[in-house]
Amino acid sequence: MSTLKKILKTLAIPAAVAVVLEGICLANGQTIISGAKSFDNFVVYTAIVMITTMALSINLNSGRFDFSLGAMAGLSSVIGAKITYGFLKGGSGSALLMLIITVLAGALLGLISGAVYCALRLPPIIVSLGVTLVYEGIMYTITGGKYLMSEVQNRSMSGFVGTWLYAAVIIAAVLIFMIIVFERTSFGYDYNALKSGQKVAVATGINEVKNALICYTICGGLMGLVGMLNAARNTTINGGQLNFGSIAIMFTAFLPMFIAGYIGRFGNEKVGFLLSALCMSLLNSTFAVFSNRINATTQSIINAVLLVVFLIYLNNNHLIKRIFAHV
Amino acid sequence: MNIKKIINRQNIIALLPMAALAVLFLVFCTVVNAKGYRLDMYLKIVFNEALVLAIVATGATFIYTLGTFDISLGASTLFSATLGVMVYNRTENIALMMAVILLTGIVCSLLNSVLASIFHIPAFVTTVAMMSVLSAVSAQIITVNGGALGGISIPSSVVKPFDNMPFKIATLLLFFAVSVFVFEFTKAGRRMKFVGGNPLCAYLTGIKADKYTILAFVMAGIGIGLGAFLTLVYTPSVTTTTASSIGMNIFIAIVFGGMPISGGARSRIYAALVGGFSYMLLNDILEIVIDSSAAYGITQVISAVFFLIVVYITGMNYKTALLPR
Repeated sequence: MSTLKKILKTLAIPAAVAVVLEGICLANGQTIISGAKSFDNFVVYTAIVMITTMALSINLNSGRFDFSLGAMAGLSSVIGAKITYGFLKGGSGSALLMLIITVLAGALLGLISGAVYCALRLPPIIVSLGVTLVYEGIMYTITGGKYLMSEVQNRSMSGFVGTWLYAAVIIAAVLIFMIIVFERTSFGYDYNALKSGQKVAVATGINEVKNALICYTICGGLMGLVGMLNAARNTTINGGQLNFGSIAIMFTAFLPMFIAGYIGRFGNEKVGFLLSALCMSLLNSTFAVFSNRINATTQSIINAVLLVVFLIYLNNNHLIKRIFAHV
Repeated sequence: MNIKKIINRQNIIALLPMAALAVLFLVFCTVVNAKGYRLDMYLKIVFNEALVLAIVATGATFIYTLGTFDISLGASTLFSATLGVMVYNRTENIALMMAVILLTGIVCSLLNSVLASIFHIPAFVTTVAMMSVLSAVSAQIITVNGGALGGISIPSSVVKPFDNMPFKIATLLLFFAVSVFVFEFTKAGRRMKFVGGNPLCAYLTGIKADKYTILAFVMAGIGIGLGAFLTLVYTPSVTTTTASSIGMNIFIAIVFGGMPISGGARSRIYAALVGGFSYMLLNDILEIVIDSSAAYGITQVISAVFFLIVVYITGMNYKTALLPR
């Protein structure tokens, strides 16, 4: 496949989504991005979706299903908010300090999750069920089951999501980090080898435990970042998410993950994560434009139908092509 | 270690979930007595809490045996109960309500299996989509017809005749007996374990996995329908949070009962029943001991750690050199 064709195929889905959604908006006398505030939200949401999707895919691509993503995001942001508020009382620099602490806390939580998995040698899905319950329980105990508001409602946090610039810097930084770490380091080579053939990779001397621990740590750090962005965007953190209340966050990442996988056939999968996040953000902004007509129920149904339809296409495209070849 | 010793050790470990249930039951009785509470009343509470989980999870065991899982079971239970309430309030016909609840459960489950089988989509992804749709539609119906907090309800007198222990125990035993029969004594049950254990080998021997996937989801659908009806019997109102935790608690119940999440030949039909009651007993023991609403978090942490310990011990026979996936 020529480079031009690859580029065209890579951009086909986001371009098509943009054209269709903008067309719908224009037909109703609106636009997807209606102003500076709308653009800020668009970029912040893109960052949240892209990072969540990356975090989900790190372990899922290796056959490790992890339910604890939402709990890691929630608990790390609670830890970050509490410590930051303790030091700065919501003063200037709060957002930066909370960002650093939240990412570090997330990475530590990810490392603990990975260590439990490696120590117990149980299927990751089971370990993640236990870890999710533990993290949710700790979060509930720290917050008393209440929403954290005063800790995250200050000028510094408002400024953090009040402009698209910081979110754009985060997107670029995470994208570069992921490309370098997973495609240009020995850890990345080992990761890809383990992903493709676990038994052979281990037989060649790759340290699987070390690789898994790093994966979980990166995943936790990314979810810390998501926790920070969500806290700033929502101006609150829900501390009362018990009994798997935190897992919903990972379901939003399924559709972009499959879209990224498709885009990755023609180019870089990590860039695919960004492009698929752009698609989801465009859809989210369109929902916001029609918020008086499209309620939450309809949005959920549209998202679910898109997921199923895309997967039907993805898993049956050879059949679809054959049908169209005969027509 | 000789083979006899290994087999003995495996048998002992296989009995651990049962032993854990017995120990938890004794601890529960001791704790309730020590606190001076009425044991009969507390046993009834535990039974009612565990009943719906055990029934839905027993149906779900068929899906888990195939090596896949269904995350939409809680949402399906909510949707079935919601439609049941709506139908009763329109027709005041209890038989029709029961039929609608059961049929809705089966249809929701079948839809998942049809999407997975015909369109070759991973079953867990279809169930994720189904969960979103069913939760959203149920929430819409409940909010429009009764409000998000109050929910929708039927008169308690309608389900009063069913709100007794003999009926509930009979329902549980009947469904369990049917499940045991299908699982242990039919060709379909054996083939489901084969497909779950080694899909490629099963395919090469001529077994059509799609057929058994559909059957597994039908059994799960019956469990959903019964679970939804018993939910209404216990509390004749439905809110947006009804059965919300069932979907994930099923994972816990099945694994707690000693069944591997990967399905296959080591699947156990009794796992959901044993695990469901064990998990509820554990939660209730902790809630009684740590008697404060602020301690919900600590309760959850302790029960999760206990869950991991039990699963670790019961899985000791199956440790591999490679990290499990």
